[in-house]
Amino acid sequence: MNNHHNQSFWTKYIFSTDHKVIGKQFLWLGIFFLLFGGFQAMLIRWSLSNNLEALPWWLFGDILYQDSPMGPGIIGPDAYNQLFTMHGTIMIFWAITPILIGAFGNFCIPLQIGAPDMVFPKLNMISFWTMILSSVVLLASYLLPNGTAGAGWTSYPPLSTPVGGIPGLGQTFWTLAITLMGTASLMGAINYITTIVRLRAPGMNYFKLPLTIWGLFLTSILNALFIPIIAAGLIILLLDQVAGTQFLIAGGKATIPGGDPLLYQHVFWIFGHPEVYILILPAWGIVSDLLSVFSRKPAFGYKVTAICMCTITALSGLVWGHHMYTTGMSPLLGKSFMFLTLLISIPSAMFFFNWLGTLWRGALKFETPMLFAMSVMWVFGLGGLTGLYNATITSDIYLHDTYFVVGHFHYTMAASVLFGGFAAIYFWFPKMFGRRMNKLMGKLHFWLSFIPLNLVFFNMMVMGYAGHHRRIFDPSEYEFLKSVLELNDIITTSAFILGVAQILFIINFIYSLIKGKISERNPWKASTLEWTVDTPIPHGNFSSTPIVYNGPHEYSNPRIKDRDWIAQSDSL
Amino acid sequence: MNKIIHWIRLRNFFDKIKHNLWSGIWFLDPPKDVSLDGYRIDNVIQYTDMVVTIYFGIVVLAMLYFIIKYRSRPGHKAVYDKGDTKKHMSITIMMGLLVFLSIDVVIEGMSFNDLKEAFWKFPKGDKVVKIEIMPQQFAWNFRYNGTDGKFATDDDLIPAQNHMHIPVNTPIVIQIAPYDVIHSFFIPNFRVKIDATPGMINTMWFQATETGKFEIACAELCGNSHYRMKGYLTVESEEEFNNWLQKQDEEGPEDDWGDEDEDNPTRWGWAWKESI
Repeated sequence: MNNHHNQSFWTKYIFSTDHKVIGKQFLWLGIFFLLFGGFQAMLIRWSLSNNLEALPWWLFGDILYQDSPMGPGIIGPDAYNQLFTMHGTIMIFWAITPILIGAFGNFCIPLQIGAPDMVFPKLNMISFWTMILSSVVLLASYLLPNGTAGAGWTSYPPLSTPVGGIPGLGQTFWTLAITLMGTASLMGAINYITTIVRLRAPGMNYFKLPLTIWGLFLTSILNALFIPIIAAGLIILLLDQVAGTQFLIAGGKATIPGGDPLLYQHVFWIFGHPEVYILILPAWGIVSDLLSVFSRKPAFGYKVTAICMCTITALSGLVWGHHMYTTGMSPLLGKSFMFLTLLISIPSAMFFFNWLGTLWRGALKFETPMLFAMSVMWVFGLGGLTGLYNATITSDIYLHDTYFVVGHFHYTMAASVLFGGFAAIYFWFPKMFGRRMNKLMGKLHFWLSFIPLNLVFFNMMVMGYAGHHRRIFDPSEYEFLKSVLELNDIITTSAFILGVAQILFIINFIYSLIKGKISERNPWKASTLEWTVDTPIPHGNFSSTPIVYNGPHEYSNPRIKDRDWIAQSDSL
Repeated sequence: MNKIIHWIRLRNFFDKIKHNLWSGIWFLDPPKDVSLDGYRIDNVIQYTDMVVTIYFGIVVLAMLYFIIKYRSRPGHKAVYDKGDTKKHMSITIMMGLLVFLSIDVVIEGMSFNDLKEAFWKFPKGDKVVKIEIMPQQFAWNFRYNGTDGKFATDDDLIPAQNHMHIPVNTPIVIQIAPYDVIHSFFIPNFRVKIDATPGMINTMWFQATETGKFEIACAELCGNSHYRMKGYLTVESEEEFNNWLQKQDEEGPEDDWGDEDEDNPTRWGWAWKESI
């Protein structure tokens, strides 16, 4: 096709405009921050179980927190607040977003729709380097004398403004970093939408798109619609932080009347709730496709699944108020938000049923990606169902801001999205790097992640049910929490096992990268277009533009005798 | 609809089910409910527990069955089935509706009913005890209206920080606005929680059914000492409560909080907002 010009090292690997290279760059960035955010989670767990004890050597106690006011290697309340703030921020915006949307969005979209590259390759490159800039700003906040932001990943004002009493510039750096990161996501979103609309191969109509592409497409639409809103909110917050305005400050600390802290909460959650779906829609799409590949049968009710995902996307923009039932919001609004939120359970139940339908009468192959895809059904089932408690005004009055919510959103956002991401990595690794990942280590990684993960997050919900409120440095402070302290230690132990299991993944990843078995062109016998190109994929992807005849899940078609699959570009 | 709600309301019935299901799993129990309406919240949670367990159980059993029955093995072939016939699609839609009717409609009905009958039905009359609360970093301030029954007067009573007393079996209405940042007033034993947002006066009511000393927690992150922003709620007989109240300091609207702005509608010791 085109673009067969010579490339220097710099244009090939660093400032590349090739979607596959940018995808890998996002993957490395995402994995780095995943480990970084995960390590912070370990520190949080250590602090909760061994309050005010110095970190052991295996948590780098000899290096970290040496100038802590509590003593060397001890996490104090300020440091604890900074830890969970940055854990949430990094995991959501710098780990999950780059892996699922950045890496697999970039890698899969052109390949799966039969395009030579993204429609705006340079914008794609700028998007990645804006992301790098945002990461630099974020990491720079660790060098500040008073540490990073500490007002929670939601950064509610007035706590996140100068009157909130958090010293230093951490909050300002946080606001800047998120704004930059949002800009990068927005550039990616515009690129993805345009590419999917304009560059589909001949014959690839919308209902022949793999569900992965549906998920990424809807995610990009949400990103394009809602990032500008959070950007507006963040800029107002930034003005309050640096320019002395008081848009979001009221009460005794305000010197100018008219500010309203609730404004930020509305703006934040108008973005923040769709953000949940921004993260999970690609995972849903990937899981839907993988279940079909490894059940060797077409995705059950493909069109219904796609339409359900669209419906959820539309509803996700109308439900933000369920994060704010206890804020004293108008009762009428509360009721409307509750009704709209519960409506989401209809399309969710329908596509969940379709997932079960895909497995039904299939020939299930339990490869590592399949194990992770099926575990998403488990964790998302639990996460989705426990959303009902939080959607209901009365039960939310009790459960809001408790560990129940923490457990719930870790099941939906962390577990589902993380496992969806692992499924994707194990699945597309052979196409990305031309080698197979180790099966045994993959399966070991799965079981060592799945079991402890459930012990961590299910027990968190149990603790929340017992009334354990969030963001508490020392739970032993309260008499009514005495009964769950034991559970706290179970969670911590499980979390450490979960953390150590990820080392197995890293070893597998790096070992397979160097020494893995060379992969054939289509190791999973999948029918989507990315498996029809050579490995390693040449610049420009397809040697000639593919023409699409079939749906994305043509498995076990009785009209084909010698094999159980047919590529989308093969005519029957 | 009302019949369903009535059926679900049988709290003893649900307590029994829960006890049988979870006996031995001690930690699943929330703190003891000592409020008039807390059982309503527990009932909604228990009903949701039940249906969620059933649905998740069905999903897990189906998955296990499929894993065993349809595992890939020599001689076993997948059925080419796209699930796009009218029959399949109507079953899918039925599943969606079943979930909607069995979970959403019921918990929504229960929740709206509870809001109408209890949580948003504010008690009126002389018997009601009114309390103003001003959280600040990192303590709770309480204000009682004294002998004249009015706030923002010189006979307002301010007990020691973090100590709230209420009489048993009497409706308590609180109005809350913080001094500095967002806090959240949470009494686990009463199943109630309300945010305190600067510039806003929020209100809530509850009623104790037992005497005792309970903990008040701040549920919204408010700074580095958020974790020990703890208060105590003492529920006592009306006589004891009145004796306690008489011993408290009289104090007028506060102006040494650094809040010079007398026009600030949430300035500590605000006039009671009758209609919110």
